[in-house]
Amino acid sequence: MTENQFEFVKVDETASEHLSAPRYSYWKATLRQFFGKKTTIFMLIIAVTIIAIAMIQPLLSHYNPIEMPNILDGSKKFLPPSLEYLFGTDQNGNNLFDATWAGAQTSILIGFISTIIVMVLGIVVGAIWGFSKTVDKFMIEIYNVVSNIPYQLLVIILVYVIGRGFWPLVFALTVTTWISVAYSIRVQVMIIRDREYNLASQTLGTPLLRMITKNILPYLVSVIVTMVTNYIPSFISTEVFLSWLGIGLPEQVASLGRLISRYTPFITTYPHLFWIPVGVLALITISLYVLGQSLGDASDPRTHR
Amino acid sequence: MKRYILSRILRSLVSIFLVVSVVFVMVYGLVPRENVFKGDTTINKLLSKPDTLAQYKNNTLERLGYIEYVEQQDICAANYADSYSSCMAPKSTQIQEWASENAGSYTIGYNTNSDNLIYATREIPMLQRIGSFYSKLIQIDTSSAVSDAQNPNIERKVYFGSDTNGVPALMCTGCTHKYLVYFDTSFPFIHQNFIELNLGTSYPSYSGQEAFSVITQGQGSYENSPTTFYDGTTKNSSALLHSCKYKSSGSITDAETQLYGDNYALCDSRYQDPSMIQTSSVIGIIALVLAYGIGIPLGMTLARRKGSYFDRIGIGFITVLIALPSLALIYFMSVVGASLFGLPDKFPFFGAHNPISYVLPVLVLFLLNLPGILTWVRRYTIDQSSADYVKFAYAKGLSKKEVFNRHILKNAMIPVVQGIPSSIISVLSGALITETVFSVPGMGKMLPDAITGYNNPMVIALTLIFTTISVVGLLLGDLLVSKFDPRIRLTTRKGG
Repeated sequence: MTENQFEFVKVDETASEHLSAPRYSYWKATLRQFFGKKTTIFMLIIAVTIIAIAMIQPLLSHYNPIEMPNILDGSKKFLPPSLEYLFGTDQNGNNLFDATWAGAQTSILIGFISTIIVMVLGIVVGAIWGFSKTVDKFMIEIYNVVSNIPYQLLVIILVYVIGRGFWPLVFALTVTTWISVAYSIRVQVMIIRDREYNLASQTLGTPLLRMITKNILPYLVSVIVTMVTNYIPSFISTEVFLSWLGIGLPEQVASLGRLISRYTPFITTYPHLFWIPVGVLALITISLYVLGQSLGDASDPRTHR
Repeated sequence: MKRYILSRILRSLVSIFLVVSVVFVMVYGLVPRENVFKGDTTINKLLSKPDTLAQYKNNTLERLGYIEYVEQQDICAANYADSYSSCMAPKSTQIQEWASENAGSYTIGYNTNSDNLIYATREIPMLQRIGSFYSKLIQIDTSSAVSDAQNPNIERKVYFGSDTNGVPALMCTGCTHKYLVYFDTSFPFIHQNFIELNLGTSYPSYSGQEAFSVITQGQGSYENSPTTFYDGTTKNSSALLHSCKYKSSGSITDAETQLYGDNYALCDSRYQDPSMIQTSSVIGIIALVLAYGIGIPLGMTLARRKGSYFDRIGIGFITVLIALPSLALIYFMSVVGASLFGLPDKFPFFGAHNPISYVLPVLVLFLLNLPGILTWVRRYTIDQSSADYVKFAYAKGLSKKEVFNRHILKNAMIPVVQGIPSSIISVLSGALITETVFSVPGMGKMLPDAITGYNNPMVIALTLIFTTISVVGLLLGDLLVSKFDPRIRLTTRKGG
């Protein structure tokens, strides 16, 4: 080893001023974590396919639950699934394919709209609730009363009182649920805003907006995402359940719950009539739930490496 | 602590009061009142007789508390008693006078047939209706309760006596009930008739029956058994002698007077099938015991083997059970149970006395309760297993089994314990969806039935019962968890 194999390096005066932490972007890390699992991608494909069909197919079929175009045509009754009728036909010769997707569209819309209402109201009110003591005194009493009411009882009675329909049902599903969301957000905000790293960040002069977006929001995102993905399937289940009981959506609105209750008598004689709507419903709720769980895990900064 | 419980109870009462009042106003104010007749078959029979129909409807609305209803004979008897017969003539001067005087508050109607008699209705304000609902809610039986014009000299006293079997009881004459406190062989062995809940009268389904007795009374056909009556004769009868109420002298028959010895001849009956509340409770309790009995050990095992294949299968199972709509799960179970094991998929096939009827409802309810318990037990156990005291226990040389069963179990159970009273009490309100699918005659089926049948009094009664159940469950849960874990204090101490 000789001296001429080496050469002098210029001393970089500024190198010690740089932090050696790797570049970290919250959203990139979240997405990497999210797409890292095979089951997640599988469920994502299922969910996107089903939602796409449910949103587009009814636009093409113009399905109307009151119309029965083939009711006089005896040859079209109880057809098994075939190429012409993918899901078969029922006792009135109605195309189950159209009915199922129209019902799925209603259910998915109710699930998403109700969740958006509940989350927006809940997050806004919850954030204020967590920061203001006067609001807290007032809201906590309301929460104490509302949390005592059995949810199913409340929804059923509201639908009974204000009448059946798409928007009345959305109202009944959301009118008290947002308070529970607001309450959980309040608790989270209270916990996170008083943590040491936030105090330190505040002392170092971080502006409020940056504190909210960089310090608090990432911790709330995983809570919010988990809530969103629990609420969507649960709203869908409740809607289907109420319509199945005959107290949710009226006859004029296509609904998976009504289909299921209408075809229950054929559960042994024509099983496809009953199990296809149930299967579509199960696929919707399971894929959305699993996706939500993965997204909830992925968006938690503690899982990022 | 005592002050805390007291304030908690007060708050709970306020909650119940608010919820029931709001529901009361909504149900009676917003649901069109014509709807209550939709489920009434009598209406169709009366369609050809408009006068009787109007009378029937008005009487019903009066009974439901919507309106006050008076007929010409009531008006004449109350206001013009001295000229009653001339007042009763169609469009008599007295009745015209009364009608013009009260035109502001009453709506006047005329019968369309020849007699042309008058009737009048008056809307009862909502506040007054709520007031009368709450004032009648709790009824205490006293010896001055009976007022019978044909039996004015009835003895009025509360005394210690004995029933037909010679068992001592607190009895009464002049009260509505003959027995105030009595003992018998059925749970809970000591019973009372002192205080009764009056939740209104059910209509149109179970028409005329008290809403509370609809859910607490037995169902099915009468069950006759040899009963010794007060005159010493033993007959095959379904009468429950302890429940007998006063029957007015005008309606009681001679045979009844002889059998019962006095006017207390209006008895409840013994039925073959258990009441709604009992049916729901039996199914609910068994399912709960199974769910906790299996859920807690299984959840602990999943947590102990975190990350293993067993754990992953468990999580997959939980995910499916949670995400699957309960409707799909129930039907799947009922088809599997019916076709593979020959179990009845409808409760009434074999009835309440055959244990096989309970298998599927219990199994489904168990499966619906299980994932929640499993998730929480697993979560809490995993959270605990990284605590310092656990590391210390391992350092002492304890085995994994000992650490889990002796140290972690108790700490992980604290949040689970909080939910137990609530789940136990909620079995009383039944399982809505299970009972509907399996046609179980229980409490859970009652609410949708009441709603589809426009049975408003029943809706109010169920709201009161379900809200009370939920409030009491939450309160007991908090109290139990503070007993179970002394570190948890429900009150904040000063300086503490």
